[in-house]
Amino acid sequence: MKKIIATLIIALCVAGTAMAQDELSFERKQAIDSLALEKVRDLSKYVKIVGSKDTPFSEANRVIDRAEELFMSDAEIGVSSVNSNKITYYRVRKYFEHLMRLNYDRVEIEWYNIEYVSDLQRQPDGTYVGVITIFQTFRGYDKEGNLVYKDTTKKDITVYVRRKETQIGGRTIGFWDVLLGDMRVKETTDR
Amino acid sequence: MKSRITSIVMVLLAVFVTIGGTTSCKSKKQLAKEAAEAEYKSKVEQAVQDLNAILNDETQWSLEEKEARVKTIKDWNLQNAEVDDLLIQAEKKLARERAQKEEEERRAAAERENAKTMDVMLNDSFNGIIRAGSISQANRTINETLGLFESPNVPVLIIISQSQGVNDYDRPTTIENYLNYLKDQKKLTEKINNIKYNSNGKINELELIKK
Repeated sequence: MKKIIATLIIALCVAGTAMAQDELSFERKQAIDSLALEKVRDLSKYVKIVGSKDTPFSEANRVIDRAEELFMSDAEIGVSSVNSNKITYYRVRKYFEHLMRLNYDRVEIEWYNIEYVSDLQRQPDGTYVGVITIFQTFRGYDKEGNLVYKDTTKKDITVYVRRKETQIGGRTIGFWDVLLGDMRVKETTDR
Repeated sequence: MKSRITSIVMVLLAVFVTIGGTTSCKSKKQLAKEAAEAEYKSKVEQAVQDLNAILNDETQWSLEEKEARVKTIKDWNLQNAEVDDLLIQAEKKLARERAQKEEEERRAAAERENAKTMDVMLNDSFNGIIRAGSISQANRTINETLGLFESPNVPVLIIISQSQGVNDYDRPTTIENYLNYLKDQKKLTEKINNIKYNSNGKINELELIKK
């Protein structure tokens, strides 16, 4: 009987410790929330750089490499138009290559209202998953400087944050790996 | 007759007192001598023990405490061959330790100064990159900055939070990618937390922390 009680106590202690390790403090959770949001803001800058006709080809390709590193390997990005109901999904590199080749003389892309619509929640496998929404205005100009296309798109980006470890300089570094998943088009308007 | 007897008694008394006093005086001197000898012996033993402990690194004393102990023993002026020999050895050893400590302190001060200088230089470079007026200007600053590093692949660690003794990092990157990140994003949201150097004085690890 004593053995059973002792075993139960040990099991409860182990479970308690495991749960305690799972629970992130407010400060740490806030830090990973901010980190994920920052990755999306970084992406917005990459979109702007690649979309700009002033960006040299080599620079754009380097930026595409960096942008690709932000995403999960199978992630897709949705593209919509006010002229069609069709939404096309591209792999990340294809999306950026498509963006680089858009047939406008000048392109302006702005992202705003970048915020969580679904907070990062811990999944059974330890991954934190959340959804961040962004609004994107796109303006395309012809060579005379006339605005020939404009839309505003609301997009949802799924964010995955995982705790990982790596060896650097002979010591183990624990880091949070933020990866973006699919970027889904939710709404497109001509405003 | 009576007075003669009295005289004899007085003389005898004087003799007894004199003899008794001399004996008592001798005994006190003997005791004092013995005490001095015992104290000397104890000091010699203590000195030999302490000096051997210093010579064999068997003490927890700081260098200053060891130096003070040697000085005290020297001041005792025990004039003992063994102690004198140990004192010479201990003084030489402590002189070496003192020189080594001062060298370490000089090196640490130089490293602190170097780190401070490097800190300022890196911050200037980072700000130069984010404020560059053109891509080519930013690239020039990036190339100059890379010269401070062992290679473009030197790891850059970014602390995103420090809580309950745990450092949480962002995904590690390389210095080349970090500098290009500054160029692309045109923002500096980190400050330098730690710099590690190789034997050639080039940076081989950089740790940043979110502001």
